[in-house]
Order: sequence, then structure tokens, then C-alpha cells
Amino acid sequence: MGLVARVVEDMGIPTVTVSTGRDITALVRPPRSLFVNHPMGNTFGRAGDRALQKEILRAALDLAVTATEPGVLVDLPHRWDEDFVFFTGEATAEARERQLKK
Amino acid sequence: MEPIRYVDALNNKYGAMGFPPYQWSENDTAPWTALEKPLSACTVAILVSGGISHCAAVPFNPDARNDHRVDAIDPDAPSDQYQIHDSYYDHADADRDLNCIFPVDRLAELAAGGEISAVAARHWSGFMGRTYNRSKVMNESGPAFVEQLKADGVDLLVAIPA
Repeated sequence: MGLVARVVEDMGIPTVTVSTGRDITALVRPPRSLFVNHPMGNTFGRAGDRALQKEILRAALDLAVTATEPGVLVDLPHRWDEDFVFFTGEATAEARERQLKK
Repeated sequence: MEPIRYVDALNNKYGAMGFPPYQWSENDTAPWTALEKPLSACTVAILVSGGISHCAAVPFNPDARNDHRVDAIDPDAPSDQYQIHDSYYDHADADRDLNCIFPVDRLAELAAGGEISAVAARHWSGFMGRTYNRSKVMNESGPAFVEQLKADGVDLLVAIPA
């Protein structure tokens, strides 16, 4: 995806990438990146949290205006409210519980 | 908490599934196109790579390699009419609220409030992971995608890897 952003930018359209994988983004180096330390899949927050979703989207759009240095990677200060691990595809206890409630 | 180290984690996971080792692109510099307009004058499109397709379309294949498919997404289609087929990440929340990963409703609200000029005529979903033939992205599928953005008068693209 970072590679695609680079092609888009190279062909004349500004881009901003919103990433949850900091190490990958630092390697690939899209033109402008906002790193959000959330679980992959929750880049903009939790289901139904419209305020946070909008806040993060706004931060991304603002970065497109304020960034001046190609390859810039900005860390969003917002923190996820609990520790999380790399997703392996195995159902977590929480996900199983959610499934049972359905 | 410290950010997860995905490069190692992904190679361990997909290596165990028989995928060849993945060498991410490493770049010391980045291309640059200055944003010449204020946001309030910008037409904005979103590109997401999380295996999201409209329910009427064929699902993405989570195990595909070198899948350069990219779907045009109608920004006016209700956001609960999408399916997610991707095994890279936990999309339980995004299954219930697409905006967790693909904030189409939030962007529409910013347009309605005048913070951006307009949502582009099309959003985009595609360029799933495990792309080993990266020169094809650089020379074929990427440029073809950019021509679509240009046709829609896109001023700014928000790219969301997943």
C-alpha cells in the first residue's frame, strides 16, 4: 500500500497514509504517514466511536496540509486503551465471548 | 505500549504457511507532490487494502499472492453493505462498523460540514498484501489506478493499509 501511495504521489496527486504498522511504514516510506498505535483493523478506533474515527481522519487530512518533508512519519499521540498483540487469526477469548453473545 | 514489530511477525506467520520470505521495499527517500489547495477546496478519495468488497461483488481472496485487484467503491452505498475477507488482521469491529478501517461515513460528514470540498466520485479497495511482483505495481497496476483518480479530479488520497 505504501508502494501505491508512492506511485500516486509520483504521478502528481498528494497522499497521506494512515498506518498501524510502524516498522513497515518506516521501511517503505510513503510520502506522508500518520502512525496510529492501534490494533490493525482498528486504525480509526472501535465500532461506533464516531468522535475518535473523525478525530483520526482529521489528523490525517491535516498532515497533508502541514507536512513539508517527503517521507515524514508522524506518531499520533492517541493511545489504545489496552495492550494488544499481533493478530494470528486464532480467536481471542474476547472474540469468542462476542461470538457467543450473537 | 511499544508498536508491534510486524515485519518479523508477518514473516514468521506466513513463512509457517509456506509463503516465501517477504522482503519489504526499503526506501531512503519519498516522492512528493505539494498539496496546493486548502482542504476546504479538496476532493478526497480513500484507498483501503483490507479485503473489503461490496456484498454484490466477488469476495477478496485472503490467501492470494500478487493480487492487483482494486475495486471502485460507491461512496453513497450504505456502509453496512460490505464484506471483509482478509486474514491479516482482526476485522471483528470493522465487520460491525466499516469506519473502523475505511472511514467513508466520517469523510462524508467532513464534506457535509465543509471541511473538505467533496468526497470523490469513487473510493477504492484493493492492492491486498503479499505482492511479490512489485515492479507491476510501479509500472502497471499503480499507474492505471492513478489515471482513475485523475479522471475523478482527486486532489488528495487517503491510503489505509490493513
